[in-house]
Amino acid sequence: MIASTLLVVILAQSATPDQWTMPAKDYSATRYSALAQINASNVRRLRATWSFSTGVLAGHEGQPLVVNQTMYVVTPYPNVLYAFDLTQEGYPLRWKYRPNVDAVAIGMACCDVVNRGAFFADGKIVYNLLDGHTVAIDAATGKQVWNTQVADIRQGESTPMAPLVVRDRVIVGTAGGEYGVRGWVKGLDLATGRILWTAYNAGPDAEVLARPETFKPFYDTGPSLGEKTWPPDGWKHGGAPVWGWLSYDPALDLFYYGTGNPAPYNAEQRPGDNKWATSVLARRPADGALVWAYQFTPADNWDYDSVQEMILADLKVKGRTRKVLVHFDKNGFAYTIDRATGEVLVAEPYVVVNWAKRVDLKTGRPEVDPAKLTGASRGSVKDICPTLEGGKNQQPAAYSPRTGLFYVPTNNMCMDYQTTPTTYIVGTPFIGLNAPYKPGPGGNLGALIAWNAAAGKQVWAIREKYPVWSGALATAGGLVFYGTLDGWFKAVDAKTGSALWKFKVGSGVVGNPITFTGPDGKQYLAVYAGIGGDWALLAGDVRSDDPADVRPPLSVMPDIARHTSLGGIVWLFAL
Amino acid sequence: MAVRVVAAAPLLALVVTSAQQPPPPSVRYEQHVFAGGNPPPAGTLENPLAGDKRAAADGEKLFSAFNCDGCHALGAVGGQGPSLADGRWRYGGADGAIFQSIYYGRPRGMPAFGGVLPPEAIWRLVTYLQTLTPATDPATVSW
Repeated sequence: MIASTLLVVILAQSATPDQWTMPAKDYSATRYSALAQINASNVRRLRATWSFSTGVLAGHEGQPLVVNQTMYVVTPYPNVLYAFDLTQEGYPLRWKYRPNVDAVAIGMACCDVVNRGAFFADGKIVYNLLDGHTVAIDAATGKQVWNTQVADIRQGESTPMAPLVVRDRVIVGTAGGEYGVRGWVKGLDLATGRILWTAYNAGPDAEVLARPETFKPFYDTGPSLGEKTWPPDGWKHGGAPVWGWLSYDPALDLFYYGTGNPAPYNAEQRPGDNKWATSVLARRPADGALVWAYQFTPADNWDYDSVQEMILADLKVKGRTRKVLVHFDKNGFAYTIDRATGEVLVAEPYVVVNWAKRVDLKTGRPEVDPAKLTGASRGSVKDICPTLEGGKNQQPAAYSPRTGLFYVPTNNMCMDYQTTPTTYIVGTPFIGLNAPYKPGPGGNLGALIAWNAAAGKQVWAIREKYPVWSGALATAGGLVFYGTLDGWFKAVDAKTGSALWKFKVGSGVVGNPITFTGPDGKQYLAVYAGIGGDWALLAGDVRSDDPADVRPPLSVMPDIARHTSLGGIVWLFAL
Repeated sequence: MAVRVVAAAPLLALVVTSAQQPPPPSVRYEQHVFAGGNPPPAGTLENPLAGDKRAAADGEKLFSAFNCDGCHALGAVGGQGPSLADGRWRYGGADGAIFQSIYYGRPRGMPAFGGVLPPEAIWRLVTYLQTLTPATDPATVSW
């Protein structure tokens, strides 16, 4: 009896269910918590216990961390880091860290000045400033340990993503697919911040770190794919940025990340597959070596970035248990991929898709509908589903090993797509696009869906009036939590999707809920309120702080300002 | 370059006169400027192409060719950068203020185009922006 209790305690500590130390809870990016104090039978009694204004009005993406009775919150630009003392009444600050962030970054962030969160490792809080710096802050004192410039803001590079730390490596990437950057990931030394390796996503093999002895892609073979699938020099300003989520498999010693769109949007300026834009790449953390890569959308014509999370799970697919990664791409297909080899096992649409008929599992390539191809010479190509916002954007899904289901925030919109020839001018947008949106079939603009990734089938869906722009959280209490653009924070039954509880949090939710155990032994939920994260969705009608910028509401959401306006609030909930 | 000459003149006057008497105000605020914005420059720059339809059409082409529409959107109605078609100006809407915003850039991410575009092309951009008619902007929205 004593021995088994002890074992449980040790297991609990090693898995740290009480804390939340990295963006997606674990290296597998499941956003699943083993905490079960709050469950389907008592969640109706959930109530707000605390809130705090961050003082910043911008899209509050990302999520807090909870480590050693302290909650850490990174704000959007100017990227203030707050450390709340959870042992004191009212959770006063232990300290706050105010970095000096170059305001030029505001103009280099394509899609609001967001930050997607921090990572706790080795007593340090590691995160990115928007202007291309990675910092490590002593978690106890708030003192800066190191500050490394990783990206060049003057070239259109910016850093809204959350780092991944594996052993003594900090892995970061750059945004800037709308500025014609040349996307990369870098490996930094956790102790000093020194840059140890740089791996580009396009260009010559030597710079992509695709070495013949280690690079074994499942489908595409041959040398210099990152160079030959572009027009001469096209890869130098070809985008393929990294602004989403990273995950890691300790057994295979591989980390996974997706890349964004190729630049510019006019595909006629970059004939070829444009590898490795709109792809998943698997690399070794120690030296960045590329082990395999797979391109979801070759020759992207629709801005279908692939930066969404790669969730690692062991699933029984067609009778065999496989180590897979599951990915919900902007292009509308959900992929279940063997994460050791890059073989696509399942690829089915999880939203309405019409740019491709299916994905050929033998070749890994989508069967594209030629009528939906775009390019400057084709004018405005009508009714393409999904939009460039994706079947889902960066807002991360959750996976519950208890139900075996993935919980996915989705968009239901279609678009017309018109590109124009564009010239690369350093530090300015390299886009050339006009793409109005319209509601998808059914009229609802979004839904939270439950997905069976082994079968490639939707299990249930909760229709939402607006695009679902928050992440999801699944718990051992049989619950799924998510937020909506009109400012509701909701709990639903993980098995059935039935609505159990909701609370209006003061601004639209684009952040990702987390859960932890407080010093009082109670389970808490935390989530940010603060609409933002994409200019196209959040036209000026939801802001009141800038009288010099007045815009009409977006045609697909003419009444969003009736329900929300900008904000920046951290909320805590408990029974 | 014309901009620098205009700005330097009152400074020179200041240097000459300051020994004897308090300097006269070198800037006259002729229009409202939002807090946080820059004051208009000393002296006045006037758009030599004001009202010229052909210059405005050229300016519209430049607006696209130099990727202005990448931030401010087609028709300058606002994207990641503010709307330039709403009749409201963060840094002042006088000819010279718009010119300076383009020539020198602004601190929250507006790049400086002074090294990329000749002043004459910037005036064409200013002329284009000045032709944009603000949409009706009722003070009250009701549902």
